[in-house]
Amino acid sequence: MDMEIEKGKTVKYLKEKRKVSPAVIEDLKKFTKIKKGILDALKEEDLTIDQLSQKLALPHHETLYYLMSLIKYGFVQIGKMDDMDEFFSYKIKK
Amino acid sequence: MNENIKTASYDALVIGGGIAGGETALNLANNGFKVLLVEKDLSIGGKMILLSKVFPSLDCAACITTPKVSEISRHPLITIFTASEIVRIIRGPNGAFKANLVKKPRFVIVEDCTGCQLCEEACPVSVPDQYQMGLVGRKAAYIPFSIASPRVAAIDIENCTLCGACERACPTKCIDFTQEPVEYAIDIKTVIIATGFNLFDPIKIPRYGYGRFKNVVTSMQMERLLAPTRPFPTILRPGDGKMPDKLAYVLCTGSRDASVGNPICSQICCMYSIKQAQLLMGALPMADVTIYYINIRSFGKGFEEFYEQAKGMGINFIKGKIGEISENPKGNLVLRYEDINEGIVKESEHDMVVLSVGILPNQEASGLFQKKELTLDLYKFVDQPDILVSPSLTSIEGVFVAGTAAGPMDIPDSILSAGAASSEAIGYLNRIQ
Repeated sequence: MDMEIEKGKTVKYLKEKRKVSPAVIEDLKKFTKIKKGILDALKEEDLTIDQLSQKLALPHHETLYYLMSLIKYGFVQIGKMDDMDEFFSYKIKK
Repeated sequence: MNENIKTASYDALVIGGGIAGGETALNLANNGFKVLLVEKDLSIGGKMILLSKVFPSLDCAACITTPKVSEISRHPLITIFTASEIVRIIRGPNGAFKANLVKKPRFVIVEDCTGCQLCEEACPVSVPDQYQMGLVGRKAAYIPFSIASPRVAAIDIENCTLCGACERACPTKCIDFTQEPVEYAIDIKTVIIATGFNLFDPIKIPRYGYGRFKNVVTSMQMERLLAPTRPFPTILRPGDGKMPDKLAYVLCTGSRDASVGNPICSQICCMYSIKQAQLLMGALPMADVTIYYINIRSFGKGFEEFYEQAKGMGINFIKGKIGEISENPKGNLVLRYEDINEGIVKESEHDMVVLSVGILPNQEASGLFQKKELTLDLYKFVDQPDILVSPSLTSIEGVFVAGTAAGPMDIPDSILSAGAASSEAIGYLNRIQ
């Protein structure tokens, strides 16, 4: 068996044995859609969580979660803080 | 015997790779004994490696844990199995033990992974990061956290779409989707249980609103928010990204509360809350921090001074029992509480609430032993039949307990407990050889 395995292309062996659950596919679609929405919105201007939330029609906590994930993945960075020292704006990482 | 089952023999089996298990393994190995350290997670280091700082010294937790973890990983007499679970342990007629365990597939060849994270970059999936307490996402191909040991990738197969992007991105071709669980039958002479504790899930107290109100977080989530490797660029409310300026701590969440099945004190919540409050005062100098408590139990060395220091820094302490937390339209939390000193009910508004969750027993080890029962105490921690004279002895000869598997304790006490357990185990090994 070991002799037949093509290193670097092993996913095909697991694909034969295992099905990806529909929930995983749905989660990926949701993340991809929200990621595109956030990045498209931030291409136009720097935005706060509240502004992004309104543009994407997403609850504030979900917007924050996805935005922070995109910061972690290197797509977005933190911007300026508002005059009340309460909320940051966020921008595309260049 | 099934020929697919791998065999090996060690002097000692340490179950749990947290700070108590790691210290026990090191002590045994430094005395010339061959140790197998089994950890169910992808990295050793336990909960301590995820903390911000430790009390009362405010030393960086990672700075203490990382060299220790590195020493454990490099020790020639310690073998580490991560992502592995013990199935059963049977004592044979000669007094030795046989342990059956399963090493789960990581889908990465550990020896070949350089930790470059190119697989992470390529992976399209994002799921909640359990090491950041769900505050941010992680990929399905991921390195558990930046100071994980081993610091190598793993594939979260339950959330993987099998797209193969990680394999195509990997420069060393170390991703291997053909890996399967590997069974082991291990001969050992002694067992040390260091399975640690579980944290109380505050969803079990609906009146505190955890889960419903996004600005109510647990103390472990706050640990991550305060850590250098935090999920957000700075401390922000998870509900809307506001920088908080009026925070409250609710002590004894899930401790000293028979109504949730845990009547005992967790011993660490007062002090870690005071520690976090001090760190918050440093990170958010304009913030007000209030700690709602029943009693402050600052019993350890330097603890009372640490408490006094917190009061001197301006942290508010209110002897009050929280009845209910509600949320107003601004996302702020209104705490309705009994002021114990004044004997009246009051309300106070905060923009973020931290629930100081307690310690619960991890009962996983209790079902592992066959033929002889591992006895648990009244609160389901591992029973210590001779607690005053030999606190690491258990109901089974040759099986010892270390750290919070035996009951709530702080980090220095866990290290001491590991020292006691390893001394007892070494004495036992010398006696039977």
